[in-house]
Amino acid sequence: MDQVLTGKNLSLGYEKGQDRKVILSDLNFQLYSGQLTCLLGPNGVGKSTLVKAILGRIRPFEGEIKLLEKSPVDYPREKLSKKLSVVLSEPIIPAQMTVEQLVGLGRTPYLKWSGTLSELDRKYVNEALVATKMDFLRKERLGELSDGQRQKAMIARALAQDGKVIILDEPTSHLDLVNRHEIMFLLQEIAKSQDKAILVVTHDLDIAIETAHQLWLMNCGSPLIAGLPEDLILNAQINELLPKDRFFFDPKRGKVNLRSDDSGWQIQGSEDLVFWLEKALKKRKSSFWTDERIQVLDNPFRIQVGERIYHSIADFFEESPSSLR
Amino acid sequence: MICIFIVNSMKTNQNAFFFILAAVALVFLFLINLGLGSVSIPVDTILSGLFTGEWEKSSHREIILNYRFPKSLVAVMAGIALSLSGLQMQTFFRNPLAGPYVLGISSGGGFGVAILLLAGSFLGFSGIVISSWATAIAGILGAVSVLALVSLVAWRVRDSMTLLIVGIMFGAAVSAIISVLAFFSEAEALKLYTIWSMGSLGGLGWNQVGLLGLLLAIGAFPLLLATRSFNALLLGETYAESMGINPVRLRWLVIISTGILAGSITAFCGPIAFVGIAVPHLARLVWKSADHRILFPGSALLGAGLLLLCDTIGQLPGSAQTLPINAVTSLVGAPVVIALVLKRNFSKEF
Repeated sequence: MDQVLTGKNLSLGYEKGQDRKVILSDLNFQLYSGQLTCLLGPNGVGKSTLVKAILGRIRPFEGEIKLLEKSPVDYPREKLSKKLSVVLSEPIIPAQMTVEQLVGLGRTPYLKWSGTLSELDRKYVNEALVATKMDFLRKERLGELSDGQRQKAMIARALAQDGKVIILDEPTSHLDLVNRHEIMFLLQEIAKSQDKAILVVTHDLDIAIETAHQLWLMNCGSPLIAGLPEDLILNAQINELLPKDRFFFDPKRGKVNLRSDDSGWQIQGSEDLVFWLEKALKKRKSSFWTDERIQVLDNPFRIQVGERIYHSIADFFEESPSSLR
Repeated sequence: MICIFIVNSMKTNQNAFFFILAAVALVFLFLINLGLGSVSIPVDTILSGLFTGEWEKSSHREIILNYRFPKSLVAVMAGIALSLSGLQMQTFFRNPLAGPYVLGISSGGGFGVAILLLAGSFLGFSGIVISSWATAIAGILGAVSVLALVSLVAWRVRDSMTLLIVGIMFGAAVSAIISVLAFFSEAEALKLYTIWSMGSLGGLGWNQVGLLGLLLAIGAFPLLLATRSFNALLLGETYAESMGINPVRLRWLVIISTGILAGSITAFCGPIAFVGIAVPHLARLVWKSADHRILFPGSALLGAGLLLLCDTIGQLPGSAQTLPINAVTSLVGAPVVIALVLKRNFSKEF
């Protein structure tokens, strides 16, 4: 596990004439090879600024970023492209291009003027296609692929570029649930098998916890928190991501929950059933009140309030006497 | 060099087949273009005359060598130059509607010529003494000055879309000045300008053809060297940059290359519409590829062929009259492209 990318006391922002607008300060982080790291944080916190700095497009005001031996801004453009590749969220698709040609573009930094691939380049393209499980689609045109497959092809392209680090900026933001999982698990696998340091900017907390080896949490006005997802959950630091007055992270369920006052409902039954009934009740909380004991029972599912029995939550809401509404 | 370039890029036999087909068609079109006109000259006469240097009739020799041959060459060169500039503009701006003139080059050239022809009477020279060299030089000066203004802006903006808008706005402003000049000019001068603006492939001597060929070579050479960058640019500027391409350098290359290619054609032949926008799309349809190793030579072949075809039609075989080339390119080209576009899903192909 080598540190491939490090940030020390980093202060970032934009300059306009004499004015300096600092967006991020006192950032410290390490990106390790062989690991999938997810960067999470609310919109506008400066994730894109950090990514720009890592890509060498802005120079830090203070502190330093080190990619392998030197700072990204100090690399000549072509050298940098051999260390670092990117995948962006917005898909720009030349529909006529085949998957193989797209992945071949990843070899651009290594090619001469005409852009013709050598045997070695073809080998890298093949390996990237196999690693992303896209080799069966290699002759397919991009216009005929699904969004998920297209994004996988973009990942294969980044892989063929053969840098130590791959940065992905919200790569799954326009994909469906299954594809989101699939892409993130694929990245996890690639990080391990190809020994790459992969940084993914994402808003999918669930999937990030599921797949990442390391999380970076950013929030306005607090330093970047880095750690194992499981550690961050157990020591509750994961709550830094959330506005604390309204949401909290439920470590038991691994989900973000709305904070609510003690409901005052007396519900008895097994934990799972109570959980879902409470969830349904909370959505209607202001209009619902009873002092009666509520019981949820399994096999078959029923809700018992005093003498009355309901067979689904909907029935319960529908038929319960007005005193309950 | 170009041969190696084409052969390298032939991944499949199908691509090669289309290249050979296009090249053969080009040769045929060239010969037909030489043969047809106000006087029809049989192809075998032309061939034997060209290869042996002996002509049955000296009038044929005169017509072919000093009139039709240079004109056909100009058609080929104009087709190549305009298609190449159109293709690089479309890729650079990632806009299927971009063409050689989006940076205001044709308006600039028109501006130079307008000053010469329309304002000439104010400045003290009349339409009679104006030679084709004078129009060419005025056109080049006009195109270069507008391009210089656009470049000044390009220096300051990072975003290629802003550059596109600025180019179009400059073009519009310059066209407005031409309109004002036209409004105040005399009927005779106005007609000269109008005829220039309809475009013409003929009337150039060998000296001018030679210069045009030189400019074409200078303008096209950098494109060859930047094929890799153009391919990377298909994914957008950010991706291209992440793959080690310098977008600023590429932008200058595009500005200079189209400036030379489209600028020189505009100066010598007038603003020839349509070819530059349509031909790259035709090339994409024919070769079904986005790869510039195929599209550059492919567009050049198709562009040359299309302009030869249009010129042949514009000759109105058997008649002494010729239609202006601009009218023919649009009359012939528009239905062809519309047909192709409707047949295949065009916007998806880009």
